[in-house]
Amino acid sequence: MVCSRPLDAALLADYWLAVLLAPDEEAVELHLLQCDPCGARLREVIALSKSMHRLAREGSLRMIVSDASIQRAKDEGLRVRQYDVPAGGSVQCTVTAGDDLLIARLAANLAGAQRVDLSLCDQQGREQLRLPDIPVHPGSDSVLYQESITFAKAAPDNVMIARLLAFDESGIERLAGEYTFHHMRTMPGPGA
Amino acid sequence: MLVELNDAEIVRQIGTGSSREAEAELFRRMAPRLRLYGLRHLRDEQASDDLTQEVLITTLEALRAGRLREREKLASFMLGICRLTVLGMRRGAQRKERLLEQFGPDLLPASQPSTPQLDHGQLAQCVQNLKERERTVVVMTFYDEQAGADVASFLGISEANVRVIRHRAILQLRQCLGVAS
Repeated sequence: MVCSRPLDAALLADYWLAVLLAPDEEAVELHLLQCDPCGARLREVIALSKSMHRLAREGSLRMIVSDASIQRAKDEGLRVRQYDVPAGGSVQCTVTAGDDLLIARLAANLAGAQRVDLSLCDQQGREQLRLPDIPVHPGSDSVLYQESITFAKAAPDNVMIARLLAFDESGIERLAGEYTFHHMRTMPGPGA
Repeated sequence: MLVELNDAEIVRQIGTGSSREAEAELFRRMAPRLRLYGLRHLRDEQASDDLTQEVLITTLEALRAGRLREREKLASFMLGICRLTVLGMRRGAQRKERLLEQFGPDLLPASQPSTPQLDHGQLAQCVQNLKERERTVVVMTFYDEQAGADVASFLGISEANVRVIRHRAILQLRQCLGVAS
């Protein structure tokens, strides 16, 4: 069967997410009841949705998260280890086998920032990874960074320095906050 | 060949009461499509299977009785039944046992297309390769199941912008996974 007017995967994602207006939803449903190729594409979208859910639960993504995301994880029964660090502060940290997500709340004054980067550095302050243009809630006084728990569980004792870099309208960079994490491995295995 | 029958012809043959094969073709053709409708509205595989059976049997009942006058509007007709059935299921109305007894289980489709399996490691890499905002939008959307307004509020952008970012991210993920067509 060949579809003469295939539905776009993004539209099907909107349908799956139930964000379409009623007339648009009806048109999609009528089409899907007559079209197997688009049904197959919707199954791909569903598979993507389910896999994303599983991936997020694993806590292995390095990313910026929201308070709502953390609450959702807790509601699902996940164990969240969170460290709240003030600008210029340092913290002793670890993860255990029972932890599911590793979160750092980085406090900072981000007022006026047009763009914020998160720079992850080694003990000497050399940048190892940069997350450019991270999403920052307007008016927020902190950023929630999720470190890969898979990585953290395997990591030996080490020091990581995180820096929030704020850019103003003219593109001038300023250090909004620096945070030092003294990671102590408490799990057995290589590197312990 | 029955597979080549269009919907109107299936409706006509079932209406004459003479074609068991047309009934089987109706079930084979429509069951996977109905199941998707069920997954979307009920978010549960077992409930989707129940919906599929109930809609098929109700449709067959109507077609045998010649209640669908405009034969080419089978999909629209079944969509209406889907909606009523979902409402009925949500109210806890169950006619399934009686209908199964009346029509027999032999017409029910034995197998359904399964949801494709994605390479988990590859997906993780693809998600990590997204831009920060795209990754956050995708995770907030699919994991947190947050409405566009909530995501927009968190990011300080418009809902329309969230939609654009989500669409772009989905496209990139599909391309990265090699499933984009």
